[in-house]
Amino acid sequence: MNRNNEDLLNSTEVDQFGLATAALLRQGSQSLPASIKDRLYAARLKALSLKKPEKVRVQQHVLANSTGNWSVGSRSFWDNVGWVAPLIVLVFGLIGIAQWQQDSRINDIAELDIALLTDDVPPDAYADSGFLGFLKNGPLADSEQDSLDSSKSPS
Amino acid sequence: MASPQELSNFLSSVEQRAFKQAVYAVRDDDAALDIVQDAMIKLAEKYGDRPAAELPLVFTRILQNRIHDWFRRQKVRNTWVTLFSNMGKKSDENDDFDPLESLSAPDDSEIHQDGAYKLERSQLLQSLESEISKLPARQREAFLMRYWDELSITETALAMSCSEGSVKTHCSRATQALAKALKLKGITL
Repeated sequence: MNRNNEDLLNSTEVDQFGLATAALLRQGSQSLPASIKDRLYAARLKALSLKKPEKVRVQQHVLANSTGNWSVGSRSFWDNVGWVAPLIVLVFGLIGIAQWQQDSRINDIAELDIALLTDDVPPDAYADSGFLGFLKNGPLADSEQDSLDSSKSPS
Repeated sequence: MASPQELSNFLSSVEQRAFKQAVYAVRDDDAALDIVQDAMIKLAEKYGDRPAAELPLVFTRILQNRIHDWFRRQKVRNTWVTLFSNMGKKSDENDDFDPLESLSAPDDSEIHQDGAYKLERSQLLQSLESEISKLPARQREAFLMRYWDELSITETALAMSCSEGSVKTHCSRATQALAKALKLKGITL
């Protein structure tokens, strides 16, 4: 029992022995046969050829860059833009058409208002039934009828 | 992320050590070369984008897993080989087989070049490698990772998937066994 305890190394001696052993093994590993070294070299080259490619961050520019050329983004980006862009154009087109129609209607009303306000006859006259009868049966109606007849008969 | 140059330098620095460790475990040069190649390929393929500082620990773990896989495959293969060899035992008997013909002499071409010192170191190394090969697998793994790969106790425990206390125990037992075996041969380090 005592002999076994004498043979045991303490923790410091264990580390010293381990380091000495490692140094010896390290020296031994340097003197491998050339054939083994060649095969290890070939294996290393093969491993390096299969290295996982580095991830490259592709910047996806939407606008033209400084040289004026459209930069090429990833395929998935353009696939997404491919169906979103026509939708955006359609929405803006409909908004534009609605705006144009509204402006046109306002302009027509404005022109009518201007014509009424600048006419010799005041606007209140059109609300008067007597004036409307005068226009229908008065001398202005006859002259208008004459002009219509003359336009119908070419002689 | 490790650059290709960093990965190449790392593999270059560990390949010979990895080969020797695999040889200690499987005791076959060709199998050890295959194991090291597989480990290097897996490191490059799967973990090539890891920072260079993480590569030693990852590679050590891959190498140990590859060695364990080799033993599993050998166990399965030996089962089938034993089964079929028992079935055809009589027809395969060959009395002319001489075991001495299959033994290869150690490569001692360098021994004569540098004289007695190199002879002594070579014999010491052979004895040491022989004793390391005889260690239980877990003790050998812990000992080599701790002292040859220079991993810390924590890193060794992580690579071996065990507690730090187990690593200390394995290392201590391996060292005691090696010291005792070498002492019986009259060798002291």
